[in-house]
Amino acid sequence: MKVSMIFEIVLFVVLIAFQTTIFSQISVFGVATPILYVYFLIKLPMGRNVFYVITSGFLMGLIIDIFLNTPGMNAAATTIIAALRKPLLNVFFSRDDYEEFVPSIYSSTKSFIRFVIVITIMHQTLLFFIESFTFFNLSYTIFRIFASSALTLVLIFALDGLMYRKSSGIQA
Amino acid sequence: MRNFIDFLIKKSSWIWAILLTGVSLYLVFTQNSYQRSVYLTSANRVTGEIYKFSNQIVSYVHMQQNNRQLLEENARLHNEVETLKSVIAGFTTDSIYYSHAFANDSTTRPPQFDFIPATVVNKSISGVNNFLTLDKGILDGVKSDMGVISQMGIVGVVFNVSDHFSVVIPVVNPKFRVSAKIKNSENSGSLGWSGPELNIAQLEQLPKHEPFRSGDTVVTSYSRIFPKDLVIGYTVSVGKSKDDNFNSFNIELASDFHSLQHVMIIRDRFFDEQSKLEESISIP
Repeated sequence: MKVSMIFEIVLFVVLIAFQTTIFSQISVFGVATPILYVYFLIKLPMGRNVFYVITSGFLMGLIIDIFLNTPGMNAAATTIIAALRKPLLNVFFSRDDYEEFVPSIYSSTKSFIRFVIVITIMHQTLLFFIESFTFFNLSYTIFRIFASSALTLVLIFALDGLMYRKSSGIQA
Repeated sequence: MRNFIDFLIKKSSWIWAILLTGVSLYLVFTQNSYQRSVYLTSANRVTGEIYKFSNQIVSYVHMQQNNRQLLEENARLHNEVETLKSVIAGFTTDSIYYSHAFANDSTTRPPQFDFIPATVVNKSISGVNNFLTLDKGILDGVKSDMGVISQMGIVGVVFNVSDHFSVVIPVVNPKFRVSAKIKNSENSGSLGWSGPELNIAQLEQLPKHEPFRSGDTVVTSYSRIFPKDLVIGYTVSVGKSKDDNFNSFNIELASDFHSLQHVMIIRDRFFDEQSKLEESISIP
């Protein structure tokens, strides 16, 4: 319990640092930007208190907003995703998985991949529509959403593969 | 009641999420100028028509006061006509001055400013982010950054325009700033409003040696948007200055934003020409 809390705090700080300094500066062909910090919400234990999840999601979005000078945009998208996390988990994972279970690419590959794809695309969709705030040029916005989602997903799966090997002793 | 409380407890996480999302969206709309401008224009297209209708009814309430103001204005103009008539009469009797008076008229340069009359159809003046909506838009020749005046003094600047409506940032909005000076003095300061009183603005960054006299007229100085020497208001008291090198005066605004109904939008014929010329300086 204690180790997993420390792991969460470290993940929280590191993701914010990497998102603001590196990932948000990347823009592949001017359309795809990896938005990786949502990985924090994926990596929380399944039975974690919903208030805790929502509040930490909001705080994470807000801190990133402060750094990127986009007040409210990331916070709004991430809060909504944090609220929808529990219902989504119930769809993709069986309910009798134990409370401390952390979704990971090795433990439940199929469910994990589906879950991550859905949550990432939803997050990116919310983010891009809050940012552009119009249905004008819809096809371009959708193209950006899918390009960014694809890049983000590749990075999340790669990161998760690395994380597991590193922390296999701890079983975060 | 019990059921209701049970419901609240059961759904409390959702309520918490909605609350935090609300906070975020509030930030999105108030802190990002792009989102705010989209919100303002799309909202105006819908609400503008409704406000126009409701204003037709509300305008009766202020009719008496407006009538009085019009009468005063009328009287003043009459006076001016009479004065000018006597001046002209003076010229016609003196043939030397007569030729003098027409010498300048041989150039056919059109007047720099002309005015588009407009009516206020909505106003928000209760908070900090104050604005006015006028019933004239792109189709009437209104553009962003045009000045707006009432018969009493300056009102604000056009911020956003749709086909039939325009949104004005009034003097009583912290985002509004205009270069101003005290009449009969050449020292310009910066006039802004920081609330909360709707008729008091602050004239800041005046040189320290600028003397304070209660009731002095404050007029616009060099400004892209307003012609020179338009009345803004009258000095009331010495205000608190942010730093010791400058004076700051409190100004009672000439325009009464509570009863404001009829305004004029200033169209500057040479605005583009002047902007272009001034921007050319920064090209090399």
